[in-house]
Amino acid sequence: MTLAYRPGGGVLHRLDPRAKLALQAGFAAAAFAHTTILGLAALTPVAVVVPRLAGASVRDVLGEFRAVAPFLLAAPAVAGLTLGEPWFRIAPAARVALASYRVLLVLLVAATYVYSTPVRDSRAAVRWLLPGKLGAATGIGVALVFRFLPVLQGDLTARRDAVNARLGGERSIRERIRLVAVGGLGRALSRADRLAVALRARCFAWNPTSPPLAYARRDWLATAAAAGLAGTVLV
Amino acid sequence: MQTETDGVELVGDQTVENIARAAVFAALTGAMAYVSFQNPVSPAPVTLQVLGVFLAGLYLGPVWGGASMVLYLIAGGVGAPVFAGGGSGLGTFVAPTGGYLLSYPFAAALTGLVAHGTTELADPRDVGVAKLVAAMVAATVVIYAAGTVGFAIVQRPSLAAAFAPSTLVDAFLVAGAAFIPAEAFKIAAAIGITRSDQLNAA
Repeated sequence: MTLAYRPGGGVLHRLDPRAKLALQAGFAAAAFAHTTILGLAALTPVAVVVPRLAGASVRDVLGEFRAVAPFLLAAPAVAGLTLGEPWFRIAPAARVALASYRVLLVLLVAATYVYSTPVRDSRAAVRWLLPGKLGAATGIGVALVFRFLPVLQGDLTARRDAVNARLGGERSIRERIRLVAVGGLGRALSRADRLAVALRARCFAWNPTSPPLAYARRDWLATAAAAGLAGTVLV
Repeated sequence: MQTETDGVELVGDQTVENIARAAVFAALTGAMAYVSFQNPVSPAPVTLQVLGVFLAGLYLGPVWGGASMVLYLIAGGVGAPVFAGGGSGLGTFVAPTGGYLLSYPFAAALTGLVAHGTTELADPRDVGVAKLVAAMVAATVVIYAAGTVGFAIVQRPSLAAAFAPSTLVDAFLVAGAAFIPAEAFKIAAAIGITRSDQLNAA
């Protein structure tokens, strides 16, 4: 399955999205600044507990990032290899392994944001972060990407099935890519045109009403924790 | 957040169209991340994500093509599963392949700039093949350069170590080399797409 919002009522679900973004940024800064055995050992408990607060487990998150795993594992192996004796050196491999582990911790925390934050909250946070019309356009754009992703995926899958049913699998790879993408692109262009008409018909404006975002005490606490984590960069 | 009550300011027609196209192309790039083909010359499968970057540059031009990829990154950052393998979240940007993703807005803008220049957008059908190839090769160079540097930075404890030549070579071998032959197929396919008769709207 793909990494997506999971409804729930845990601590993290109730936090303001801006506080959660600050926490992620603080954690990442701390992990990148203290890539030592001691630093990462201190951050590990946080990274392990946080997914649980969002109603997910560490195993869930690791499953989501299968695609990254080969890179994280290959990098230390390649760093340790040498041309000639002794063929493999432990020290550089260990340093790079530490860097890989740091990425894993950051991924755990970042995935937790996705589990615990609905799209409309993220959109409101984007509008708050970016000023004026830029924020408004980005907010609506982000919401539209969420909405159109499954639709266009469906288009491409249908197109691919159609190409395969007509023995497209026996054509060259260039031709297969072209056939699938032409169909997807044609549909996407006509969907964009219809979307533009629909937006105009509904008085698409620069100043619609966003869901209210309000900072409660727990949000200030989370922000203070984020600032603390970011502050460790200076230590 | 305060509710604004002093009237409605409508978005201009041209801007509405551009925002709609930028969002749909961002979603298309995300959808293409799920389509993979067996690569005949290398074990790494070919995903079409980068083709989405090329097409955004060719069909939306430098400004809105770049904007479309910025939307793609922000949407992915806040949780739309648009990255390779259904990934999402800000963590993806500091993962080993984050450099590739962060280069997409620049690559799409460069594609649009080389193909269309700074003047009005031409129909990609009317842009010469040499120009199209140059645009997409330039974008590929940007993507792989950023990808290699990103991989090196993420995989080394310090910046000084990341920019050592041996590190960059390692990074390129692990994260880049296996995927480059596939880009040639995508560039060829993209040229075929702009020349397709099936595509009447553009």
